[in-house]
Amino acid sequence: MRIRFWGVRGSFAMSGRDFLRYGGNTTSVELVTAAGERLLIDLGTGATELAKTLMGGEFGKGQGQLPILLSHTHLDHIQGLPFFTPFFIKGNQIRILGANPISGLSLEATLQNQLAPHYSPLNGLENLAAGVSIETIQPGAALEVPGFEIETGAVPHGSMWTTAYRITADGKTVAYLSDVEYPSYEDPLEVALSLARGADLLIHDAMHADHDYELRRGWGHSPAAAGVVVAERAGAKKLALFHHSPDATDDMIDEVVARTTARTAVPVFAAAEGSYLDV
Amino acid sequence: MQITFWGVRGSYPVPGAATVRYGGQTSCVEARSAGGDCLIVDAGTGMRALGNKLVREANAPMHHHVLLSHVHWDHIQGLPFFSPAYVPGTKISVYALLTAADELHQVIGGITRHEFFPMPLEAVPAQFEFHQVEPGVDFTLGAFHITPIALNHPFGSVGYRIDCDGSSWAYVSDTAPFTEVLHKQHFLSGVEQLSDDDRVALAAMREALVRRLAGVDTVVYDTHFLPDEYARFPHYGHSTPDQALEICAEAKVRRLVLYHHAPSHGDEQMDRIAADYLGKGAAVGIDVLTSFEGMTLPIGDEGTLI
Repeated sequence: MRIRFWGVRGSFAMSGRDFLRYGGNTTSVELVTAAGERLLIDLGTGATELAKTLMGGEFGKGQGQLPILLSHTHLDHIQGLPFFTPFFIKGNQIRILGANPISGLSLEATLQNQLAPHYSPLNGLENLAAGVSIETIQPGAALEVPGFEIETGAVPHGSMWTTAYRITADGKTVAYLSDVEYPSYEDPLEVALSLARGADLLIHDAMHADHDYELRRGWGHSPAAAGVVVAERAGAKKLALFHHSPDATDDMIDEVVARTTARTAVPVFAAAEGSYLDV
Repeated sequence: MQITFWGVRGSYPVPGAATVRYGGQTSCVEARSAGGDCLIVDAGTGMRALGNKLVREANAPMHHHVLLSHVHWDHIQGLPFFSPAYVPGTKISVYALLTAADELHQVIGGITRHEFFPMPLEAVPAQFEFHQVEPGVDFTLGAFHITPIALNHPFGSVGYRIDCDGSSWAYVSDTAPFTEVLHKQHFLSGVEQLSDDDRVALAAMREALVRRLAGVDTVVYDTHFLPDEYARFPHYGHSTPDQALEICAEAKVRRLVLYHHAPSHGDEQMDRIAADYLGKGAAVGIDVLTSFEGMTLPIGDEGTLI
């Protein structure tokens, strides 16, 4: 399975010189199996970059099929949706799978509201030319997506929950835990450990440098150290720090990686836009 | 008076190596009077850096005035990240055209609902107030005299003429030209046949724009498309620099600033656009500048930077 990071930034897309090496686009991660089946996680601005690549292939001809998993619907995870060009080509089949964001509000209604006429000239999902299905999932349930086995779980994110994923393909496993904050990062929740157990790669929220975390406790994001604790306890083989703070320049992320590497035997790297990894 | 560009990009923010010089953040311009009054036009992602600067500079909580052209995402997305909103005692007055049936506070507050953002507008420390603007109905905010101008964009948009310190500038974004498409309150999948009424409406909108811009020193204009791109997407609601130049030449403005750059236009292409239209502007007596993030311009012949 090949994994490619198209957007690794949290909260806000950052442009400029200080963000060139790790990248300023918000979250979007692509997984492709050896047989060529593709899965996308989250639709931040990074998805607009992936879209350019996809349009050069079957998606440009209206023959593309793509399942997209959403962790949640905070803007940095869906802001690429109105600009994801495969939606504009008739014939493409795109599934968007995610949990209802809050009780009493469906995923479909939320995405419709994102494309409401005052916010977007698209004026609703029905005006996307591609075939689009919005599928509400129940965190905890397994999902059927061709080529991938997917387990899900709800993890706390400030005053709400996000969906974390454990994805297995080609005999390898990737765990995606973005936008999570445990009651105590020294003692991560069992649901997170279970999704990350023995994973070949753990992608974990590392919004805050450890020394910044105390100021932002309760805001729904983890310090880099949280991913280390999850990886060590769950026996994950490699840790990708993800969802970098918009205030974290390339040099600051380098420092976080150095400090994190020094405290664990688990191989650690910071996810960088455009980079790929064969799991 | 001077103006500073905090976000010059259209549609969505574009990080990366290709946008380092012109900038990747979306629409936001700050105007300053000689006396120090501040006016913010549009609340795109450029507003985050502006907010951080305002908080650094402030000795006390401020009252900020924000004019919105319309409420498409690229023009309001910076608002939840505007750090003065989190300073108790701050007041933020937002001025906008009503483009939907909902009240302005519902539309603008809607982007901070729980499903989209962790903290709703009602919960932030700053006090927000919302004012509806009407094309042609002018008003005064401190040193600034403001006239909203109707523009041609899906579901409506307004430009602003802003007079201050004996000079003037105008913000004309987002707008399509006034020929092929009349934008209304519905989705366009392509160009629709114009009725006679539509042609009359377009001509009236164009005439009012030219009249309001007459003699303005500096016009910041939506020039999202190059002509070949416009030809493919005439129903998207954006203009070309050529169309902006035509309006500005008729209104006899001194200077045109290209703005709301397409996400796909990287720095090298922007350099070519800047050079091409500097020449085309000179041919009709208009000074054409291409905006970049961080650019500050004095307004008026005698203008000096504050």
